[in-house]
Amino acid sequence: MAVVVEVQGLTKLFRVPEREGGLRASLRSLVHRHWREVRAVDGVDFSIEAGEIVGFLGPNGAGKTTTLKMLAGLLYPTGGKAAVLGHVPSRRERDYLRRMTLVMGNRNQLQWDLPALDSFELNRAIYRIPREQFRETRDELVELLDIGDLVRKPVRQLSLGERMKVEVVGSLLHLPQVLFLDEPTIGLDVTMQKRIRTFIAEYNRRYGATVLLTSHYMADVKALCERVVVIHHGKILFDGRLAALADEFAAYKTIEAVLADGERVSIRVPKAETSRRTAELLAEHDVHDLTVEDPPIEDVIEQVFAQ
Amino acid sequence: MTESAVRSYYDFYATSVRTQIQTQFQYRAAMWMYTLGMVAEPTIYLVVWTTIARTHGGSVDGVGTGAFAAYYIVWTLVRTMNIVFTPFGWEWRIREGQFSGWLLKPIHPIHYDLASFAGQKVPWIVLYLPIAVALSLVFHPALHPRPVEVVVFLVAIWGAYVIRSMNAFALGMITFWTTRVAAIFQVWFLAELLLSGRLLPLPLMPQWAQTAAAWLPFKWTFYFPIEALVGNMSTGSLVVGLGMQLLWTAIMAGAVLGMWGFALRQYTAVGN
Amino acid sequence: MLRLVGTFLRLGVMNEMQYRTNFFIAAFQSVLAVGVGIAVLALVYSHTTSLNGWTESQLLIILGIQILLGGIVHATIQPNMERVVTEVQDGKLDFALTKPQDSQLIVSVRQLDIWQAVDVVSGAIVVGVGVSRLHGGTGAGHALAFLALLGLGAVFLYCFWLILATGAFWIVNMWFLSELFEGMYQTGRWPIGVYPGWLRYSMTYLVPVGFAVTVPAEALTHRLQWSTVVVAIGFAVVLAAFARWFWRFGLRRYSGASA
Repeated sequence: MAVVVEVQGLTKLFRVPEREGGLRASLRSLVHRHWREVRAVDGVDFSIEAGEIVGFLGPNGAGKTTTLKMLAGLLYPTGGKAAVLGHVPSRRERDYLRRMTLVMGNRNQLQWDLPALDSFELNRAIYRIPREQFRETRDELVELLDIGDLVRKPVRQLSLGERMKVEVVGSLLHLPQVLFLDEPTIGLDVTMQKRIRTFIAEYNRRYGATVLLTSHYMADVKALCERVVVIHHGKILFDGRLAALADEFAAYKTIEAVLADGERVSIRVPKAETSRRTAELLAEHDVHDLTVEDPPIEDVIEQVFAQ
Repeated sequence: MTESAVRSYYDFYATSVRTQIQTQFQYRAAMWMYTLGMVAEPTIYLVVWTTIARTHGGSVDGVGTGAFAAYYIVWTLVRTMNIVFTPFGWEWRIREGQFSGWLLKPIHPIHYDLASFAGQKVPWIVLYLPIAVALSLVFHPALHPRPVEVVVFLVAIWGAYVIRSMNAFALGMITFWTTRVAAIFQVWFLAELLLSGRLLPLPLMPQWAQTAAAWLPFKWTFYFPIEALVGNMSTGSLVVGLGMQLLWTAIMAGAVLGMWGFALRQYTAVGN
Repeated sequence: MLRLVGTFLRLGVMNEMQYRTNFFIAAFQSVLAVGVGIAVLALVYSHTTSLNGWTESQLLIILGIQILLGGIVHATIQPNMERVVTEVQDGKLDFALTKPQDSQLIVSVRQLDIWQAVDVVSGAIVVGVGVSRLHGGTGAGHALAFLALLGLGAVFLYCFWLILATGAFWIVNMWFLSELFEGMYQTGRWPIGVYPGWLRYSMTYLVPVGFAVTVPAEALTHRLQWSTVVVAIGFAVVLAAFARWFWRFGLRRYSGASA
């Protein structure tokens, strides 16, 4: 399979002015500034193949949005290399920009005062989409997300969820091969979140697009991503299948049993002792039903981030 | 540029203009109010200079009341054409993250400003016409333009718009480096106020102002279009005027494009 | 009521003190604005010696008063009125309305843009320079009348702004307010006598710039007539009463309409 995204040793440092509170400190800062170096992204390596949907998980400030912005060309890396579709993103070559898209949750790229349809037309002109193809794509996407009546209203009159839907459609009109989605479901209600997720999955299925998605909602990742990259403090902690995440990081498993007299039992056991304790349970009690479960992914992640 | 590139730019501008005309129409009440505030300025100048002219035998340095009236009535249209996105707005724009959206698109952001404000001009001009008629009834302008003057005027007001858009964009870019830009902008606008012909027809300004104005773009964005229609310029000087507009367009376009690489570098170091 | 005003004043000043750079910016702007005003005056007087009967030093006084009052407007009146307009737009006015004190008082004294008050100083200086150049000087009586009429002028401008801001209860989008006022206020730089008849009446009664700026100037330049003073006071009373009535009318409509 073709490699679409190739990242080696990618680093981004920010210099942040440091100031303590208080009058004297602020006066001092007028004369002599202290700078603190923040390693937002610290030597990150990964590669992604065509058609993959990869989720970037991490708490706030982990470096996922910064990584995405560097891949989209919005931020200039401090070190390392990145290539997407064979282009260096920070060069912002027109050919590259025409084949990718970045959607930021809570951020509008459509014109605020205009109906979404007008913004779509502007995009058509900007991306030089042939009119026939544009109309087909637009109608298809509008139907997929069911926004037919929303696209005629000025964007500022739409609710947060409705705005997200029209934003997503607007960003896909030029049928990009690479989608960068930064917290696409943030602030949306559960139904809307599901809608967006199904839509992304469908787009990926139909067009074979590569999707990089950041989120701190586990539900996004569980629903969409076979592969997960966990980032914390700018470094990659895990890169692999979601199921394997629990294997690697979970410290315990939960044994749930229903006993003969109807009593339900739930035992948390250290991972290493699972088979022994299960055998014990089965031997000592009359068990009607037994399941051995990984801890919920959310707990695993929490633990990972607590490090 | 390839044919498809030209077609796509034309497409973009045409679409922008069309949508702006449709949306601006909704705001006509607010537009009326704004225009009322704006038209106060030329009316004040007109009234003051007409008063002076009347006490000095009907003219000031050879400019009669009819000429003043014509100057300031056309002034209002040119002033409207001059309205572009203010450099003071860039700080807000950067903070709102508007640039992040624009930088993802395969066109230069200046086209967004150029196209949307150009589109807005159409409803503003429509609004201007009844005001021009009203002012003409009160102040009796002496306006007898030749056909060539009308043509040059129509071209010149758009030339003025383009030059001024570039000025504003270039100034706005400074905000990428520092947010303490207010003083710089104000000095620029002060110079523009004094040297563009906005206060008074340039020939009536002191000599030092006229000399300074010859070296700056302000005269060509304001005084020249007005004078082309209102004054008595020879065809030769009209053409020279258009040529100067072209020259300043090239200079400012060069400045914008030249600075843009550096500005981008600065912005993408931190971004938003 | 005085205690309320005092509290807001203290809070406003404390708040603004954080932004020291704002002082230099405001001072710079003020100097520029005064410079432009004087430059235009010089320009005008390079072509004439008297404008509608007013000499250059007399016009300097008008300029100074206009800037001074402008400083008061920009520091105290405008920030409050603009805030009312945005709050009406965003439906957030309820906050101010649930306090026990009078709503008009609250919305009028909440904000303070102290650095704009620099204009009061520069305006006063310009007036001083103008007075010092006057033929015939100024007596104490005239100065007192001037101060009283200046206060009256502030009242006029406040009422005008309040009426404009109350319009927000009907017209939601009022982004043009500041431009509209500034445009009309610029007319105050020149004696209202220069404007043709109907414009002069609008400038005096509709947009009371004439009363606010020219009348105090008349006090200092020995033009003041008792009839003018009487009309000014009378009109101020009428205007203030109307502004208050209009405000409460709009407020009733607003609180009736909001869910």
